[in-house]
Amino acid sequence: MSEPALHGLIGEFPTPAGIVAAARQLGDSGFRHLDAYTPYPVKPLDELLGRRRPWLAVTVLAGTLVGAFCGYFVQIWAASIDYPINIGGRPYDSWPAFTVSAFEMTVLFALTAGFVAFLIGCRLPLYYHPVFTAGEFDRASQDRFFLCVEAADPRFDAERVGDILRRHGAERVEPVRG
Amino acid sequence: MTVTADTDSEFAVVRPGVTLTSLSAHIGDTVLRPKTPRWWWIGFLFSLALLMVLVIATVWLFVNGIGVWGVDIPVAWGLAIAEYVWWIALASGGTIVSALFYLTRSPWRSAISRIAESMMLCAAASAGIMPILHLGRPGLFYWLFPYPNVMGIWPQFRSPLLWDFVCLLCYILMSAMFYYTGLLPDLATMRDRSRRRWQQIFYGILALGWRGSAVQWQRYKSVYYIMAAIMAPMVVSVHSVVGLDFAGGLTPGWHSTQFPPYFFFGAVISGIALVILLTVPIRHAYSLHAIITEYHLNALAKIMLTGSLMLGFAYFWEAFGPYYGSEVAERTMFTERAFGFYAASFWATIALNIAIPQLLWVPLVRRSELLLCLIAGGIIVGMWFERFVIVVTSLHRNHIPSEWGNFFPTLWDWAILAGSIGLFLTLFLLILRFVPIVSISEMRELIDCEGPG
Repeated sequence: MSEPALHGLIGEFPTPAGIVAAARQLGDSGFRHLDAYTPYPVKPLDELLGRRRPWLAVTVLAGTLVGAFCGYFVQIWAASIDYPINIGGRPYDSWPAFTVSAFEMTVLFALTAGFVAFLIGCRLPLYYHPVFTAGEFDRASQDRFFLCVEAADPRFDAERVGDILRRHGAERVEPVRG
Repeated sequence: MTVTADTDSEFAVVRPGVTLTSLSAHIGDTVLRPKTPRWWWIGFLFSLALLMVLVIATVWLFVNGIGVWGVDIPVAWGLAIAEYVWWIALASGGTIVSALFYLTRSPWRSAISRIAESMMLCAAASAGIMPILHLGRPGLFYWLFPYPNVMGIWPQFRSPLLWDFVCLLCYILMSAMFYYTGLLPDLATMRDRSRRRWQQIFYGILALGWRGSAVQWQRYKSVYYIMAAIMAPMVVSVHSVVGLDFAGGLTPGWHSTQFPPYFFFGAVISGIALVILLTVPIRHAYSLHAIITEYHLNALAKIMLTGSLMLGFAYFWEAFGPYYGSEVAERTMFTERAFGFYAASFWATIALNIAIPQLLWVPLVRRSELLLCLIAGGIIVGMWFERFVIVVTSLHRNHIPSEWGNFFPTLWDWAILAGSIGLFLTLFLLILRFVPIVSISEMRELIDCEGPG
């Protein structure tokens, strides 16, 4: 059995300041295949490594519109088209009375769309990822900050990357395979 | 002035000495430790006993019908409806703390949001069973769904009772998604800290493979803000629609335009009261003094006081209306409510929800855990009386004098009340044992903002 392919080089930082500086320098030098793994959202990292696209908000907006339409349509179709009943002489399309349920369906669809879009956007569930095999990676969800430079990057050079990571305070740098 | 301005100098949101390492270890151990503490077992067995009361009372009710309760004409809505409103108000308080105060970026919200949200889910379960128990034919509750059926008919979408069903259903589904999203990073922490096989598998599956990558955190933050912004108006709508159930009826004492906000004020005060009542014992049981500080209790106490003032405002107009207006039935009903057979319940409401909470103006009272718990407990009891007064006294003096009559709860009425408390406590204790009761990832951000610990 051959050794699994190299995924990248991971550096473990004790503080958020170190990982931010390293990510900034790597980004400035043209590295694009980077990812940081931190126990909480570290402020500048999402600007350095995140992807600013409004698709999450757009999905929620789409959910909102679909929910509003469905919530209202079910009621108006049932109460004034499929089985109209005259109640106290009110119009069949008594829309003010339909707004409450329509509002609830609107927010339900909006939130569900956001939840699903969040999971898809985060590629979850994903039970295996090469970084899980890195030495002390279980501390990425507790008190350590990890920066992984992926081998897929055209500028990837293990020695140079290792130097940059160490220079910014990485206490441990190791290759990730898988 | 912000809610907590005067304590900034005295108490910190996080006491010095809490680090990322110690925080994960401390909260992780409360869930992952192999030995379950004795207080948990005592509480759990007690809750389970109460839950058995609910099972027995429900079986008895389903076998014999709702005649086993004290409900009859004219008081056909009894304790089940009062307790539905009571529980859903308690639940709403949890969402108010976690969603509304997330949007205001209140720092004290982080340490207690999980307690509040867990409380919300458990209270919603207790609330959700009440309308079904109250149905004469509970097996047909699914008729509330607009599903295509052989009868060719649909639910009455113009009825507030149906709105309420839609609200509750959406509320529970949305709260579950909101809860799970907030919990996801903490589940990953549990996965990484657990050393026993079943825990690794259990938390590993639940954590969905969360890695905390930069992109994941970015999306987490945006979706959490969006969810909080959706949940905040949602929770206002839920309890307002409960108010509309009543306002939509012509019964004196119910037919009032102020009911939606009035009910929401009740949700604020009673929900916060229950958060306090749960936070104080958890703080001691899990030794969370360093992250749930006097700052949190002080902030909660002030919101409870605000809720009490808002509720007092609504009480005032509720009393003013009948005497200012010219509806004889309203006036008769209100006079009877305040000075008749149920006067004690009415004045208990005023005393426990409005008069006694005014003690919270005194900083010394806000600092005393014991007094806070007593006042909060009083409010929860007082809010039960408020729902009882609204439901029962309004019906017992309806428009036609020939149908006046009193309501006497039976043993089975009280069994349902005790049982619903048992259901709440059982679920809450299970969450307390298996779910990190403080949002660790949010606390880390707070520690980061407050400077290195």
